[in-house]
Amino acid sequence: MAHETEKTSNSAAGHSMMEIEASKPSGHGVVAGGLSPLSETLWREKASLEIVGDVSARLTWKDLTVTVTLSKGETQKVLEGLTGYAEPGTFTALMGPSGSGKSTLLDALSSRLAANAFLSGTILLNGRKRKLSFGTAAYVTQDDNLIGTLTVRETISYSARLRLPDKMSWSKKRALIESTIIEMGLQDCADTVIGNWHLRGISGGEKRRVSIALEILTRPRLLFLDEPTSGLDSASAFFVTQTLRALARDGRTVIASIHQPSSEVFELFDQLYLLSSGKTVYFGQASDAYEFFAQAGFPCPALRNPSDHFLRCVNSDFDKVKATLKGSMKLGFEASDDPLEKITTAEAIRVLIDSFRTSQYSYAAREKVEEISKVKGTVLDSGGSQASFLMQTFTLSKRSFINMSRDFGYYWLRLVIYIVVTVCIGTIYLNVGTGYNSILARGSCASFVFGFVTFMSIGGFPSFVEDMKVFQRERLNGHYGVTAFVISNTLSAMPFLILITFLAGTVCYYMVRLHPGFKHYLFFVLCLYASVTVVESLMMAIASIVPNFLMGIITGAGIQGIFMLVSGYFRLPNDIPKPVWRYPMSYISFHFWALQGQYQNDLSGLVFDNQSPDLPKIPGEYILENVFQIDTARSKWIDLSVILSMIVVYRIIFFIMIKFSEDVTPWIRGYMARRRMQQKNGNQNTTVSPNGLTQSPSLRTYATGRR
Amino acid sequence: MEIEGASGGHIGGGEGSGRGAYLVWEDLSAVLPNFSKGSPTRRLLNGLSGYAEPGRIMAIMGPSGSGKSTLLDTLAGRLSRNVVMTGNILFNGKKKRLAYGAVAYVTQEDVLLGTLTVRETITYSAHLRLPSSFTKEEVKNIVEGTIMEMGLLECADRSIGNWHLRGISGGEKKRVSIALEILTRPCILFLDEPTSGLDSASAFFVTQTLRSIARDGRTVVSSVHQPSSEVFALFDDLFLLSGGETVYFGEAKTAIEFFAEAGVPCPSRRNPSDHFLRCINSDFDIVTATLKGSQRIRDVPTSSDPLMNLATAEIKARLVEKYKRSKYADKTRARMQAILAIEGHVIEMKSGSQASWWKQLSTLLRRSSLNMSRDVGYYWLRIIIYILVSICVGTIYFDVGNGYTAIFARAACGAFITGFMTFMSIGGFPSFIEEMKVFYRERLNGYYGVSVFIISNFLSSFPFLAVVTLTSGTITYYLVKFRTEFSHYVFFCLNIFACISVIESLMMVVASLVPNFLMGIITGAGIMGILMMTSGFFRLLPDLPKPFWRYPVSYLSYGSWGIQGAYKNDFLGLEFDPMIPGDQKLTGDFVIQHMFGIPIDHSKWWDLAAIVAILVSYRVLFFVILKFKENALPLFQTLYAKRTLQKLDKRPSFRKVPSISSKRHQPLHSLSSQEGLNSPLQ
Repeated sequence: MAHETEKTSNSAAGHSMMEIEASKPSGHGVVAGGLSPLSETLWREKASLEIVGDVSARLTWKDLTVTVTLSKGETQKVLEGLTGYAEPGTFTALMGPSGSGKSTLLDALSSRLAANAFLSGTILLNGRKRKLSFGTAAYVTQDDNLIGTLTVRETISYSARLRLPDKMSWSKKRALIESTIIEMGLQDCADTVIGNWHLRGISGGEKRRVSIALEILTRPRLLFLDEPTSGLDSASAFFVTQTLRALARDGRTVIASIHQPSSEVFELFDQLYLLSSGKTVYFGQASDAYEFFAQAGFPCPALRNPSDHFLRCVNSDFDKVKATLKGSMKLGFEASDDPLEKITTAEAIRVLIDSFRTSQYSYAAREKVEEISKVKGTVLDSGGSQASFLMQTFTLSKRSFINMSRDFGYYWLRLVIYIVVTVCIGTIYLNVGTGYNSILARGSCASFVFGFVTFMSIGGFPSFVEDMKVFQRERLNGHYGVTAFVISNTLSAMPFLILITFLAGTVCYYMVRLHPGFKHYLFFVLCLYASVTVVESLMMAIASIVPNFLMGIITGAGIQGIFMLVSGYFRLPNDIPKPVWRYPMSYISFHFWALQGQYQNDLSGLVFDNQSPDLPKIPGEYILENVFQIDTARSKWIDLSVILSMIVVYRIIFFIMIKFSEDVTPWIRGYMARRRMQQKNGNQNTTVSPNGLTQSPSLRTYATGRR
Repeated sequence: MEIEGASGGHIGGGEGSGRGAYLVWEDLSAVLPNFSKGSPTRRLLNGLSGYAEPGRIMAIMGPSGSGKSTLLDTLAGRLSRNVVMTGNILFNGKKKRLAYGAVAYVTQEDVLLGTLTVRETITYSAHLRLPSSFTKEEVKNIVEGTIMEMGLLECADRSIGNWHLRGISGGEKKRVSIALEILTRPCILFLDEPTSGLDSASAFFVTQTLRSIARDGRTVVSSVHQPSSEVFALFDDLFLLSGGETVYFGEAKTAIEFFAEAGVPCPSRRNPSDHFLRCINSDFDIVTATLKGSQRIRDVPTSSDPLMNLATAEIKARLVEKYKRSKYADKTRARMQAILAIEGHVIEMKSGSQASWWKQLSTLLRRSSLNMSRDVGYYWLRIIIYILVSICVGTIYFDVGNGYTAIFARAACGAFITGFMTFMSIGGFPSFIEEMKVFYRERLNGYYGVSVFIISNFLSSFPFLAVVTLTSGTITYYLVKFRTEFSHYVFFCLNIFACISVIESLMMVVASLVPNFLMGIITGAGIMGILMMTSGFFRLLPDLPKPFWRYPVSYLSYGSWGIQGAYKNDFLGLEFDPMIPGDQKLTGDFVIQHMFGIPIDHSKWWDLAAIVAILVSYRVLFFVILKFKENALPLFQTLYAKRTLQKLDKRPSFRKVPSISSKRHQPLHSLSSQEGLNSPLQ
């Protein structure tokens, strides 16, 4: 640690120029850029080099312009001719009123632009034109999608196991985890759970720091953050920003968009990039911005937060506010010496942009960009996760199992409901017997159990939607593959589903006293288990396509309703209209197979009383064939295996759905946008993509609905 | 003239203004009792004194958990009853407890119906509360005046927006909420964090509007959380709280002097309000401690910041002490005495609404129908689903006929319609919960009574339910070809209609009981499952176990009546093929009595009547629950509070316990739990 701190202070003291000198690969294996010994090891593993050279990230962008195609083929310039740079050891803040293009710039730099946005200009990382692969740059999104039931330490260590190489020893990993916790100041809440809707957990500021901790675990050299302080109170915002500054001082390059920082937070920025409607208002040292505004004729009044003042000057919404106020209210503004009261904000923005273009700050920035671009630094490259597929699957299964066992709403609540419902069924059909009426009763009992009881699986939907959010974040950051997720989810749910169905099934079976014999009982619970798992898989496939929770429940209920209708109970199999409903619907419905199997399981071998005692008794086989119209030639075990294979099919559908929305949808959207743009432009077909940067990594629109 | 006087001089500010309301509070304390396991009783406010004058806007500021909201609730008379309050609150020199609706209170969240436009929202609110004697023209003038005053002219015809409808911005929403409250021209306006969650321009706009309302001769008291520099500059008076104690009370401008005198001057490049909060927010101590722990503190800019070297708790204690002996405190006391000496007008305590019952009902009815017709999720989506499902059902049972298996098919079809299709009503649950939220807010402000709400809700949903019934009823009835007679079709539709209405009412009862949407769906589905099981289809009525399931559950279930009615409607008078060809044909009579075990001693119309009776009783139950929540719960809380007072009497040391020390040892987030605890909406 002492080594590390020494390095840190070194790099903190040295300023930008120094950095570049120091960063030239030094022959005898000393790591530059203030890497801690741990990070050093990690980088060595990654790069499979004995000597790690300079691994710091220098990012420059020149004449960056982003154009967005709107739905009607119109294009809009979101960013216009931006030039700037970000260096190791500095914390750059992107500021601007809402809609000024902060997030777009951040997305452009981290190559996460939406598919319908087109980019021109040059973005260089260490003097090389290349796409940022996941892992080199970490991106912390605005919302913290974390698993609420895990503690902070667990969250971080599972993430470590998912992404760090298998070769790395556990003690090393552990040391890395602990150092990350300390670095992010999370040691006080390390063993507190994160918290969800029914569990009180850590505060918002702590959650944000956990999100950052997860991203810096692999020691990326470049860190992007989208509004890390919004929604936090002043103390937490200060803490988060302070941590970011510390991360930067450690030799990293930190770029964050920040919305309305308080005075304390603003003082922590190194570089400031002030945007207004896509244009640069100021770029340079944060502390010099004060001077710049004064020179441009908009001095910041005393006792005012400079950042409030800057935003006030460049926020054109204030024009609207003033116009409305003047129009609607009897009171005039109190006279003040504020120059902004005399001219409109639009005017002020124009003046500022012009005076920046000709200012020394702009020149300095351009020179610096040129200078940095010339230096060809290390190629920073790494895939998302270094862990093997098996390790990922194992870790994910374990994590998801722990989450399921702690989340009350995931399975425990359903266990309670299942038992309550089956006790109700059990008492209603209590000791059903072999009377004439019990023929129908047994049929309806089976139909109720397989129809409505499985229906209750919908209760786990919200927890599953939460899971999907975490998955999408992690997937976007390349933590693991879709296959690992699907397999682990199946595995971890299995014990709970077995527990639930066996308990509920046993209650029901022995209260109603269905067909005696252990084998028959076993078939019943297995069939119930398979059906519940099918419903789960079905709901998962639905969850991956529907836009929201309510639509998911309605769709799920609708599909199950139709399945139930064609299952052979509400309408006898032979009476179901042949086109559509009989073929193929009833064969797709898992209820159909479950009922076919269960009727055979329950009735065959039993003998029932007839309507009046003097008539002969009715054998079960007769009922199966003539009353319920069951195909007795097929064994009930085949019915069960059909249901089991449905599980696999639905999981595959789920897998395909995710893959589809990951790869194909963004591609289509990008294609459509390009075509619209070409149609609009007609002959003057501009090359939309002057360099390789425009093609988007496939995932970016997947999880982010925002711009 | 009046504006001049109010904004100009501090003393003698508004003596001339006739309708102003002077608010004075003396030695105000509030305690949250806690009997469980000897955990300490929490002190929320500690001996606060102050005043608010017409024509001025006051900001109550403090870190989270400092008691801002509690103070606001106390002053507005909205303190939850389990909090014990001592001290005096005087309006124009008279001690009076404020009833709901006497003063305007704008809550933090904007509970509005998303489908209405801004103008509609304000107009309906005006019709609900302004006296019925006002002509349409007068009401219109007031509404337009308010829209103008709040600067909402531009967005007046835009809808507010909900989950599927993009609407007005957050700042505009907040201004609509304020507009609703100032419709009745209240003397005092309280606001709970009106600028939270708004961007700087909107926050500025909202505060500017508040200022102009104040300049109109009204008293505006607002809690504010982290105002930006521009917003802070708009406030006249400042009440700075920390841990329930006064850090500063007086003019906002002189606060900077006070802090400088106390040895913590505000740096020039800093927003004063940021500085004040930085000085008294003890969370910063924790932050500093943690940062020190993770050896990053060297990096903290030590520059000119004296705060980094001093614990905020220390600074806060110093400020509190300093203030007590400062000239600002003297000035406040003098001003309070002066105000108390004024024989002000007694504020007429009008209740929330002055409109007549009929007027309220018709307004609410119109508003509710408009909302239902515009909200896609409320009924339209469900109508589409109903049509789809009934087409599915209709084709599956297409032309069911009179064969032997048709007996069971007809029964299953009837059961599926009354059972599963009514189940779909769950889809309207989210919209309904939205409406309930609006109801709770408006009820709290005394807009209208519970009965008006229930009746209007029922009546306005009537046409939609009728459409649902007619479309799905007609489709299934004629596809399945149940019977040929028209009267049977009428009964079929009436039966479905009654069942769906019952389910709607049941879901409302559930919605008023459960804490959230998910629990509502689970509870609703569970109850429906049980009702379905006992309805006589899955298990024949005579076979149901007698205790509990047969008596009383099956009699309370609308399903069993619905199925009995449907069977009688369907089977009586028909003949079916026997099981073995050649046997005697089975009559409908026989089928119902012997195969389904349903007695035919009463007609199907009695079954329908039973469903209607169940429907009425659910509505009554809904009414009772809402009334109970309103009246009985506060009663319990009052009892609870009384017990605390007795306990406190036994403990003489109560007033001497300093609250600062205890607060610091609490975990970080328990502070935030205190926020909003006393707001009755929680």
